[in-house]
Amino acid sequence: MSTGLENGLEVSEDDLETLIGDRALDREDHVNAPGFVVRPDQVQEVLTDLRDEAGFDHLSCLTAQQYENRYESIYHLKKYADPTQEVSVVVPTAVDEPVSQSAAPVFRTADWHEREAYDLVGIEYDDHPDLRRILLPDTWQGHPLSLEYDQEQPQVVTLSEHENPVQPDHHDTESDTMFLNIGPHHPATHGVLHVKAVLDGETVVDVDPDIGYLHRCEEQMCQSGTYRHQIMPYPDRWDYVSAGLLNEWAYARAAEDLADIEVPEYAQVIRTMSAELCRIAAHMLALGTFALDVFGDFTAVFQYAFRDREVVQDILEDLTGQRLMFNYFRLGGVAWDLPEPREEFFEKTREFLDDLPAKAEEYHNLITANEIFQVRCVDTGILEPEVAKQYGCTGPVARGSGVDYDLRRDDPYGYYPELEWNVVTEDGMDNYSRVLVRMQEVKESAKIIEQCIDVLEEWPEDDREIQANVPRTLKPDADTEVYRAVEAAKGELGIYMRADGTDTPARFKIRSPCFHNLSTLAEMAQGEYIPDLIASLGSLDIVLGEVDR
Amino acid sequence: MIGLLKSMATTMKHALDGSTFTVEYPDEAPNVSPRFRGVHKFSQERCIWCRQCEKVCPNDTIQIVMDDKRNGEQYNLHIGQCIYCRLCEEVCPTEAIVLTQNFEFTGDTKADLVYNKEQLRSVPWYKDIDPVESREPDRSAWLGDGDGEVDYQ
Amino acid sequence: MEVPLEAGDTYLLPERISDLTGLGGFGMAGELLAAFIAAFIVGNLMLAMTGVAGPWAKRKITAAFTDRIAVNRVGPWGLFIIVADAVRLLAKEMIIPENADRPAYDLAPIVVAGSAMLGFAVIPMGSGVQLADPEVGLVYVFAVAGIASIGLVMAGYASANKYSLLGGLRAIAQNIAYEIPLVVTGMSVVLFAGTLQLSEIVAAQSEPLFTIAGVTIPAWYALVNPFAFVLFLAANFAEVGRNPFDTPEAPTEIVAGYQTEYSSVYFVLIYLGEFLHIFLGGAIIATIFLGGPAGPVLPGIVWFIIKIWAVFLLTQWLRSALPRVRIDQLIEIGWKGMLVLSFANLVLTAVIVALIESPGLWG
Repeated sequence: MSTGLENGLEVSEDDLETLIGDRALDREDHVNAPGFVVRPDQVQEVLTDLRDEAGFDHLSCLTAQQYENRYESIYHLKKYADPTQEVSVVVPTAVDEPVSQSAAPVFRTADWHEREAYDLVGIEYDDHPDLRRILLPDTWQGHPLSLEYDQEQPQVVTLSEHENPVQPDHHDTESDTMFLNIGPHHPATHGVLHVKAVLDGETVVDVDPDIGYLHRCEEQMCQSGTYRHQIMPYPDRWDYVSAGLLNEWAYARAAEDLADIEVPEYAQVIRTMSAELCRIAAHMLALGTFALDVFGDFTAVFQYAFRDREVVQDILEDLTGQRLMFNYFRLGGVAWDLPEPREEFFEKTREFLDDLPAKAEEYHNLITANEIFQVRCVDTGILEPEVAKQYGCTGPVARGSGVDYDLRRDDPYGYYPELEWNVVTEDGMDNYSRVLVRMQEVKESAKIIEQCIDVLEEWPEDDREIQANVPRTLKPDADTEVYRAVEAAKGELGIYMRADGTDTPARFKIRSPCFHNLSTLAEMAQGEYIPDLIASLGSLDIVLGEVDR
Repeated sequence: MIGLLKSMATTMKHALDGSTFTVEYPDEAPNVSPRFRGVHKFSQERCIWCRQCEKVCPNDTIQIVMDDKRNGEQYNLHIGQCIYCRLCEEVCPTEAIVLTQNFEFTGDTKADLVYNKEQLRSVPWYKDIDPVESREPDRSAWLGDGDGEVDYQ
Repeated sequence: MEVPLEAGDTYLLPERISDLTGLGGFGMAGELLAAFIAAFIVGNLMLAMTGVAGPWAKRKITAAFTDRIAVNRVGPWGLFIIVADAVRLLAKEMIIPENADRPAYDLAPIVVAGSAMLGFAVIPMGSGVQLADPEVGLVYVFAVAGIASIGLVMAGYASANKYSLLGGLRAIAQNIAYEIPLVVTGMSVVLFAGTLQLSEIVAAQSEPLFTIAGVTIPAWYALVNPFAFVLFLAANFAEVGRNPFDTPEAPTEIVAGYQTEYSSVYFVLIYLGEFLHIFLGGAIIATIFLGGPAGPVLPGIVWFIIKIWAVFLLTQWLRSALPRVRIDQLIEIGWKGMLVLSFANLVLTAVIVALIESPGLWG
């Protein structure tokens, strides 16, 4: 059944209203999108219609929260073809019986999201394939983000019932398979990730990533910080491998939309330039660690990648004053203008950009041109574009599967629309494509930085406004809700915020790209060998700080 | 096979040119940029005890104790807890608290890393860089912090 | 290029020692003691080399490839790190898994290190340093080097660790797949030399191959049959489990393979054993392809050590540049590629030898 509302075509709010019909109990407009309030037993129906009829094929995020009188799950839907078209499906449930229909059969990414909502907020999802805790240990008592949760109450778990997920040996005399705990302390898990793998010889039969070891309550920390100052230092710590400014931008963009703050254009140029520097640093690290997984030792590629990342970090240190935890963006601009003398800074950055092609050639010789590397990576860790969309993959992972989706172009922000650059996609769908995408994105970022420098050099001296005039205490209107995303190093990094009239957000939800990307691991690794599992995990380029938050 | 040889040639080139990108750290003090944020330095002479730094700190790193006449008695800073966001310096109206470039400090226990105002005063400058002076060109930028009431308590 | 070789000369190190010290006069016991002393000297030479290679040279070489500085704090050029590392490793607590299969778990490191040491017994190292020179020398070397596989699989299963088990299985699969091409390629040398005795093989390589501008190039088998040389090198890297064939350890995949559960002294033994195996591999390559201890000006033993180190350097170079192949690809390369090529090489060598020895055969 085609209603003419295929992918990408503009769907007006009226169309949506007609499509959802009486299933919408109410309208609830968010800053970014129209919201429709839907009965908890009609979630699947409505989402299926929105996906198939109106082309909303991207479940970007699921936010769960508790009000005084109800629980609420908000499904933030977008289109891969045009992410500026958004719709929120709001599903309220009663406080005494918070049961809502699961969206997992419609969008597979809802699986993990609903587990998280269940874990932290306490909403139960009917028809969910596997509703158990995801971030907290199974023995956790209570749901920390629900209103009745007592923060002071210590978690009393006796030693005997304390769950040790690595303990059970899963002895199964019937089958020929072997259960293997990969992690939480394993050289190739890029942090503390625990992958429960079932092996048949060297072949991977099943994998189940067990996350949450690095859960640091980032959302709750942001909920207790003030919009104006105290939240900004924390985004640096989500994706802590030098992608800090990109994360800060996610918060800045959401908060600026929430409080309606205009950012001076000059600050936007600086933001764009510094964010792309971060992207280069992050991709260098991704490249280095992936090479580490495939080469097997801390060998040349890893060190060269770090050497080059070091140069970027020096530039960023000059600009922001810190090498990783920048805290450089402010609401309405940036903290500092370019360092004086400006010429020196431009020169240093240009020098780095000029050296890049030679270095790219070196990486090409070392990695992508290497036959053994090709044998290892081509056609391993296959991620079909349709599967990638189902899991909400974004960033280099999606682009390596041929999904042409980049928020810098599709949902423009900053100074990107004024600049000449391309979105890189590869059709290989394998580990090799993902490496290629990252390597080429470094070049594209270099192009962007180059143009930004040109613009900054030409900028008239008396017009260098780096911050808009933002009130000292920011109190957005109560019950404004916003969900905004930017293209971070790993993909779409979204922030949902609900204001309650105070100077701190009432609900702060982070949509982490790594969380989505990691959930595809089973799809990629099943039926392949252990080395491919490791390579696939490496090519996803996850940062556990962002997965677990 | 060509690719393998190319890889080998690339690494061998690096081995032979003898250049290194690491530095011999304690012997060779690294250069930090003037904006670098390290350990705090506190000046009691400048401080007007407005408690803004304590209020803005996202981590409860700063703790100020005043007597009933609002005279400052203690200024404690848990350096091990600090996230070096520099917000205290940013909101300080008198530059009483600044972040030096000094990143070299140790402590055996957590308690060693709680600095009182005397310890904060004696924090050395890194390579004699005065952060206030070195950030002079940026000063106008970070002091312009919006309208709305300024609450000096 | 003529260097006095001990080729065909049966004057071996133990005899020399017994003559020098007069131990020969004590009959059987004296000869045994002389043999002990000789073995002690050779063994310590090799251990000293691994001592230099493991904690120091490997770090320095890797650092050079990766633009770093590496050990330079303790002693000149950081050389005393060897002592520091030895103390550190030996002083560590030995942690033995509860379910470890004890005799096997304890024996494995000794087997791994010991099998490599045994191999050096028949290698002619020049300057008269050779412990024994049996007629089946080459076969003996391959045989004792192969014992290491048993050690690895023992370590793998006795550790009661799944990663160790995987590593042990990988090691055995890999060794079987590459032992055969290795030996078959080695046999091509035997076709040339017409003997299995290592000293004879070395002697055969001192013949001049050709002369360019007054420099006589000796008939090292690496020059006579480069194809066999490359094949042997590759098979050797797989045999000793070095990059790009280091799948039995594969740190990023199976943690450290068979050595995951070994610590302290046992770890040192396994670690030493690995280096000894690299050196033994180097020694075999030097002996049967690079003219053994032959070389100008410097004494034979020095040349021999230089050649061994050259092979070691090559392993480190490959380590810096090449990714690890996957285990299934590795086995495939072994059985479908190397095995076929090694037999082709054998046929090729036979033809060459036939051509050289009886030119009349072909008219």
